[in-house]
Amino acid sequence: MSGKSMAGVVVALLLVVLASNSLYIIKETDRAVLLKFGEIVNPNIQPGLHVKFPIINKVRKFDGRVLTLDAQPQSYLTVEKKRLVVDSFIKWRVIDPQTYYTATSGDQFRAAERLFPSVDAGLRAQFGERTLTEVVSGERDQLMVELTDSLSQTTRDELGIELIDIRVKKIDLPQEVSNSVYDRMRTEREREARELRSRGQELAEGIRADADRQKTVIEAGAYRDAQELRGEGDAESAGIYASAYSRDPEFYSFYRSLNAYKEAFNQQGDVMILEPDSEFFRYLNQPNLQQ
Amino acid sequence: MAWNEPGGNGNNQDPWNSGGKRNGGGNNDQGPPDLDEALQKLQEKLNGIFGKSNKSGGSGGKSAAPSGGLFGILIVILLLGWAGFGVYTVDQQQRGVVLTLGKYSETVMPGLHWNPPLIDQVTQVNVTRVNAYDHRSLMLTEDENIVDVSITVQYVISDPKNYLLKVRDPEASLANAAESALRHIVGGSEMDSILTEGREILGTDVKARLQQYMEDYQTGLRISQVNIKEVKAPSQVQDAFDDVIKAREDEQRVMNEAESYRNGIIPEARGIAQRMKEEASAYREQVVAQAQGDAQRFEALLGEYLKAPGVTRERLYLDAMETVMSNNSKVLVDVEGGNNMMYLPLDKLAERRQAPVDFNRSGSGARLSNDNIRDITDQVIEQLRQRQQTTRRETR
Repeated sequence: MSGKSMAGVVVALLLVVLASNSLYIIKETDRAVLLKFGEIVNPNIQPGLHVKFPIINKVRKFDGRVLTLDAQPQSYLTVEKKRLVVDSFIKWRVIDPQTYYTATSGDQFRAAERLFPSVDAGLRAQFGERTLTEVVSGERDQLMVELTDSLSQTTRDELGIELIDIRVKKIDLPQEVSNSVYDRMRTEREREARELRSRGQELAEGIRADADRQKTVIEAGAYRDAQELRGEGDAESAGIYASAYSRDPEFYSFYRSLNAYKEAFNQQGDVMILEPDSEFFRYLNQPNLQQ
Repeated sequence: MAWNEPGGNGNNQDPWNSGGKRNGGGNNDQGPPDLDEALQKLQEKLNGIFGKSNKSGGSGGKSAAPSGGLFGILIVILLLGWAGFGVYTVDQQQRGVVLTLGKYSETVMPGLHWNPPLIDQVTQVNVTRVNAYDHRSLMLTEDENIVDVSITVQYVISDPKNYLLKVRDPEASLANAAESALRHIVGGSEMDSILTEGREILGTDVKARLQQYMEDYQTGLRISQVNIKEVKAPSQVQDAFDDVIKAREDEQRVMNEAESYRNGIIPEARGIAQRMKEEASAYREQVVAQAQGDAQRFEALLGEYLKAPGVTRERLYLDAMETVMSNNSKVLVDVEGGNNMMYLPLDKLAERRQAPVDFNRSGSGARLSNDNIRDITDQVIEQLRQRQQTTRRETR
């Protein structure tokens, strides 16, 4: 190899070193500022390949995506002085790299430290003018919108941050309050259970009573119909007897009496004390009697 | 690396840049032809530089051939290797997000692609897989009760560009947002409705709200479904809630018992009623039939009686008397002038009335066998006979 080619290699190496120090890439996900001896000369570098002077210029990149600040749960008081444990998160994004870099030197943690107290104070104020029910149920959206609106201008101006959203994750009661809530829930359920059981008894008693009534009515009706039938039978038979016997009442009396005697004395062991002058014994003493 | 960077940024960038632009124009299926075209161009270029082997050998090529040729071949090999690394396929389920020198250029569809390595960065994202996020916690309801809710959020990455570029940690954002949305909706509902029929609505509401959050944050995620897996009372009061369910069952049970009582008693009553009516009916038929029978019997007799009243009367009387007399003990007292000192052993007579067995009463106590009856009858007859003899003696 000749010296010319050696020189070529050296030049190439130099070129490579130079290029790596003067060319830089800003990714789509980053925001960046260009510094010249610590002073910002380009407040918002667009994504792509860029050129800088080595040593003179410095590039500071920060995450330009939507970031989440998920703080520790805090205690807040509602308007009726009930304590609530609230866990919220904040969605934010760097919108003005220059202001952001000036305020926080591009450090996320410092940004969070600056951001959180104002959000915390805002939440405290919002909770302080609402009742627990309003906070828990209806007004979450409104609360968050108000808070975001009130803070977004200041964060934008002071920190170069866009507040996208502030959301409450958890709103919980403190432990001792939770216990009293559980007690109340328990008593409510007990009340309901008792009510159900009693109602069952009530309805069941009604059904039984109704059944008993129906039974009585059915049987009474049946008795009535039965008596009616028996009466019909009695009447009809009486009519039959009467029409037959009235043809010769005297003979009927005679005939019926005889039957009655037979019936009356059909049991052995009856004792009859008789005088022999009765009609029956007419011939007993007077065999030759002529009528 | 360092070898190629300057090369890549210098002479050789132009051909592919133009190719890349054409790619960006939407002709995404032109991966392989693009590569061929590029290689052909490269070939021509190299030929132009390092001597024209295709055309007739010029005089200028000979002087630079020995050293320049070797160097050239080395560069060609390096370039080919570099180009080879740029070939990749995108699976049917994936999309590729291409960043050219850090700047978003395009999202590529499934197929075979080529992007210049080191210049373009390709990240592949699965856009069809359904991911799931499970969450469970205790939360407050509108009526200040506490419920235990567990949900599953199913989501897909619908916008790979946003997913990769707009939000840091989209999944964590989803988790936070899901919890917030769930608590929001639960906080606006009454416990009873959540525990019972409100579950479906709860799921839909949470889904809608969560989707809104995802769009606000530009996470590129699409919520496909929110399943409310379980909603129950907290474990501290679970037993009281269970007792309500038991109570509901008890209520039903007690009512069922009453119903079964009713269903037992009423048909029975109807049966009894039917029996009473039937018996009455039978009685009616019976007495009427008896009356008719008696009447007919009497009338038949009457007919004969009217033909010969005296005789018939006499006969009937005597028959009856005979029956009566033969059935009974008799004491014939023939006392003219009234001997009232006569002693009748009534107690003796009454003793015999105490028959050992009353045959007419059914179903009470011991029944007598036929043999017993026969024995007793024999004894009675014997006794009677003796007595008759004695009375006759007395009367004589």
